[in-house]
Amino acid sequence: MSEIMQEKETTLYLGPQHPGITGNMMIELKVTGDTVQRGRTHVGYLHRGFEKLMEERLWMQCFPIVCRICVPEPDPNEENLARGIEEIEGREVPERAKYIRTMVLELSRMATYLLWMGGQSGSAGLYTMPQWTVGDRDYIIDLFEELTGGRVYHMYIWAGGVRRDLPDGFAGRVRKVLDYLEERLTDYDRLLFENAVFLKRAQGVGIIDKNKAEEWGVVGPPLRGCGIAHDVRKDEPYEVYDKLDWEVITHEGSDVYSRAMVRRKEFEQSISIVRQVLDKMPEGPVYNPGPNPLKWKVPAGDAYVRTESARGEFGYYVVSDGSLKPRRVHVRGPAYVHGVSLLEKMLKGMNIADVSFIMNSLGTCPPEIER
Amino acid sequence: MSTQFAIEEELKQSINNAFRSAKVTIKRQGRINVEFRSGILPAFVSYLKEYLDFKHLVMMSCVDWLEDNEFEIVYHLWSYDHKVHIMVKVRLDREKPVMQSISKLWDQAETYEREIHEMNGVEFEGHPGMRDFILEDWEDLPPMRRDFKTREFVDKTYEWRTGREDKQDVRETIAKQYDTEVPDFKNSK
Amino acid sequence: MMNIKGALVPFSALKFLGKKPHTVRYPLEKKDTAQRYRGFHFNDLEECIGCGTCSTICQNEAIDMIQLDGVEAAKGDSGLRPRVDNGRCCWCGLCVDMCPTGSLSLTDQYLHTSPDPDSYLLIPGKDNPEMKENISFVKSDSEPLLQFDRVPMRELDGAERVKSFAEVVLGYMQEEARAEATRCVDCGLCVTACPDHMHIPEYIGAIADADDETALKYIYDNNPLPEMCGKVCTRQCETVCAIGHLGEPIAIRWLKRFATEQFPDPAAILNPVIAESNGKKVGIIGGGPAGLSAGYYLALRGFDITIYEALPKMGGMTYAGIPKYRFPEDSLDKQIGYMEKVGVKMVNNTRVGKDISFDKIRKENDAVFVGIGFHIPYTLGLTGEDLENSIQAVDFLRDVNLGKSVDIGKKVVVIGGGNVAIDAARVSRRLGAEVTILYRRRVQDMPADWEEIEGAEDEGVHIVPQGIPLEVIGNNGKVKSIKYGMAEMVADDKGGRPRPVLIEGDEHILEVDTVIGAIGQEADYSFLPKEVMDELKIERGRMVVNELKQTSIPDIFAGGDSVNRTADAISAIADGVKAVEGITHYLLDE
Repeated sequence: MSEIMQEKETTLYLGPQHPGITGNMMIELKVTGDTVQRGRTHVGYLHRGFEKLMEERLWMQCFPIVCRICVPEPDPNEENLARGIEEIEGREVPERAKYIRTMVLELSRMATYLLWMGGQSGSAGLYTMPQWTVGDRDYIIDLFEELTGGRVYHMYIWAGGVRRDLPDGFAGRVRKVLDYLEERLTDYDRLLFENAVFLKRAQGVGIIDKNKAEEWGVVGPPLRGCGIAHDVRKDEPYEVYDKLDWEVITHEGSDVYSRAMVRRKEFEQSISIVRQVLDKMPEGPVYNPGPNPLKWKVPAGDAYVRTESARGEFGYYVVSDGSLKPRRVHVRGPAYVHGVSLLEKMLKGMNIADVSFIMNSLGTCPPEIER
Repeated sequence: MSTQFAIEEELKQSINNAFRSAKVTIKRQGRINVEFRSGILPAFVSYLKEYLDFKHLVMMSCVDWLEDNEFEIVYHLWSYDHKVHIMVKVRLDREKPVMQSISKLWDQAETYEREIHEMNGVEFEGHPGMRDFILEDWEDLPPMRRDFKTREFVDKTYEWRTGREDKQDVRETIAKQYDTEVPDFKNSK
Repeated sequence: MMNIKGALVPFSALKFLGKKPHTVRYPLEKKDTAQRYRGFHFNDLEECIGCGTCSTICQNEAIDMIQLDGVEAAKGDSGLRPRVDNGRCCWCGLCVDMCPTGSLSLTDQYLHTSPDPDSYLLIPGKDNPEMKENISFVKSDSEPLLQFDRVPMRELDGAERVKSFAEVVLGYMQEEARAEATRCVDCGLCVTACPDHMHIPEYIGAIADADDETALKYIYDNNPLPEMCGKVCTRQCETVCAIGHLGEPIAIRWLKRFATEQFPDPAAILNPVIAESNGKKVGIIGGGPAGLSAGYYLALRGFDITIYEALPKMGGMTYAGIPKYRFPEDSLDKQIGYMEKVGVKMVNNTRVGKDISFDKIRKENDAVFVGIGFHIPYTLGLTGEDLENSIQAVDFLRDVNLGKSVDIGKKVVVIGGGNVAIDAARVSRRLGAEVTILYRRRVQDMPADWEEIEGAEDEGVHIVPQGIPLEVIGNNGKVKSIKYGMAEMVADDKGGRPRPVLIEGDEHILEVDTVIGAIGQEADYSFLPKEVMDELKIERGRMVVNELKQTSIPDIFAGGDSVNRTADAISAIADGVKAVEGITHYLLDE
């Protein structure tokens, strides 16, 4: 029996409904026995044509669209589009709005990492973690609901600032959630990051060639998990990251474990960043109004802006021809590279059971590949 | 040489020394635009990658300038050392859009080129395996072309829900209330 | 080797026994939504004006504007109301942030499930009146999406103004006009209030797009005197502007003025197509806005048009009544010149009934349009009114406009609160007099434009509200002073506006050189022969006309102040435009 399996190559279709990731995507695997010989990514289950839709919408109408590009982490999309337009227009953003945006982005990073913790441990067969982290993520979602009026899709950051100021006493409630999450980290450590099962599964698995990582377009925690200290927040600081005290986190190892540790430490760091933001946030307006949205023309020009999302460099290439609608909005999500060309490279020689495990560690997100 | 953009100016010098035809503009700190002719693009980006440290291919975009009858392919490159983002823009004839593939320089370019091929209909010479990416069995006009009209596509592909036919246009309603007609001078020019 | 830590760690889980779980608890605790939660829509149907901005901004096309039972169209209200398809809505709330009145909001209610797609169609406010209590996401005052502040208009300084008859309002510059036009939401509610129903959103949109030529075409489509309207229109459009509900209305009048001022010769842009002569002749009596409008469009349709005017120039009240600092003469000349170009024949200095008989005009033409205006002033009914230097505002303004020298002395009192009174006061200031306005009621009751009232005050005109003139006192047959009494406002039992009632004994005397009466005018029908007068139906001094401005005599049409009650230029123009339809119908049976 085993002889036959070793000789014969079988095709295995993993997905599109998938244990490893949020969103639908299919991996076609050529396997012999338990080992993947090669694989190919198939996307197309989630194409909503957002970029095309935006070309036929007013600039303001694009904001409710972009947040839907990434379900777990909509805020970098909003922030990117807003900043791209602001760069073309030369519109100033009030200082307080920048602080609020930074807070929103970091809270969103934490929420995404919590979801990732659930997915990562779920794909390793540890089923308590998802229950806990998804529950704890809800505390952040509650904050978003209070701040923006929406739980998942916030539609909060827009060109010129943010949509509303903080509600009364909001900072205090943020701090409470931060304190709680900080305390929770010890539980997570025990359950996941120090868990023998996880260590066994994660260490030495899913190795990215450190020397090739930059060239392959690896970004975010997977890159920093190779010990390479690149982070958009430091490389090209936006909003108020250059006014805060923090260091780029790296971890040697290039494997699933090192990527996990980068995220775990960044989660802790985000808590500190949000606290600093709350301490330093100035008073003042949060929105610098633009023209009437129905007649809002962005001057001709283009801009590329990027943020460090929870999965790495998220970028928007915004082109305006001076009309009421965008000429082109091109979205660069980290998963576009991680989930296709990098994953296809890494699949070779992998265990079938590790496929979704590794996909998770790369932060694969089909909705942002297809947009 | 202005000290404000010292690195950018230096890069501009280097690029112009090597490729005299490249039109380099410094947009702001950390942003350089290069307009380039399509012929030897792979050699140019390869130079940027190997000699000027633009290791990170951020993405490739395609902008349809229908009015000029041109596509603009934009190569976004980032140098971690210089902290500079370079946009190399190449204009292609929209009637016969052909570009050389750069997938030998960056593996991930293969995916970008597949998408641009499928969405805009640009051919990439030397691409290792041109096939569908997001769309499947697509026979219509490449959808990211400006002359592909989503509304028409939707009308012929899907059925609109019923029950909303009683909707009215406010301006028309008002015109009707006062027995007037709104002429169309805007489109009659 | 036994791992002691590993053996003990599981017991630490015991701490969770005492913790409250954060999953679902029983009995169910309903979670309160946040204060800004974006759930189902609610619309205050009374506040809503049916402008449709919510529907325009909705990127999902989830909002339809529909007719509702019990909601009637009115001035400033399209009569439509939004209906939301909750199957399409994404709860972004842009509709709320864009709502010009603030009537639309989102509630904290979000649960609905049904297999019936129609059940997802919600008419906010009608289908869910109970949700008024659940409003959560409302418009923000501090982060507005719409621009509520008008681009300020540059004006001459008050002290500078009184030195000459130079135009007070300087007009928008390019940038200013574009910025102002950009504020418009294109709803078209302004059209409901404009007597002439001009294509306002269209020309404002064209101005915003820097396409002034197109703007001009829209403007001239149903108003041949737009530069005049751009300067002196009573702009009822602005009173119903959607943006005006929470902010300053779009400066529609100034924008129209801007567009017309861009082109020295409208003909070059409009290239008017004049229809071949249809052999029908129309005589127009009175060269005011009504007569000119009728004449212009009739001429375009191939009619042979002759306008008879008593004064040396066309324009009617806009020539003889409106002071030059508001409406300069070259601006009027430009528009008359354009009308001549399209073939309107103009006969000046010809008073019908004196220089030419009405019967002759009627005989020579197939139809007659009467646009004679109100030129005979009401008298004050006071002792001493017939003294020398007790004059009438319309006469005074006409004399000044026609360049006659008028001696009003050093101190002037103007009686009245309408635009004519203010005009007379401001003109008197320019002639170097100290001016007092006596008005029976309060300042806020004045029928004059608030901008005019403010302008007068800026120029140093003293307004005495609630002052009722009692007697003009003379000396040697000339005015010496005026006696007036103060009044208090008494609420009207029948629900009308409050009436001024004299306060016993509170009387004052003001030394003046000239008294100017400005309490209203009426039409002068003395030029009409008796048999026409007998047949012509006149009520309260105004000719009675049908929809198409036809009087009780089929070949006589009429419009302007002597027909409509609003008695302003734009209504006169509207009458003229309507009469064109009437006359075409009457003569060509079209």
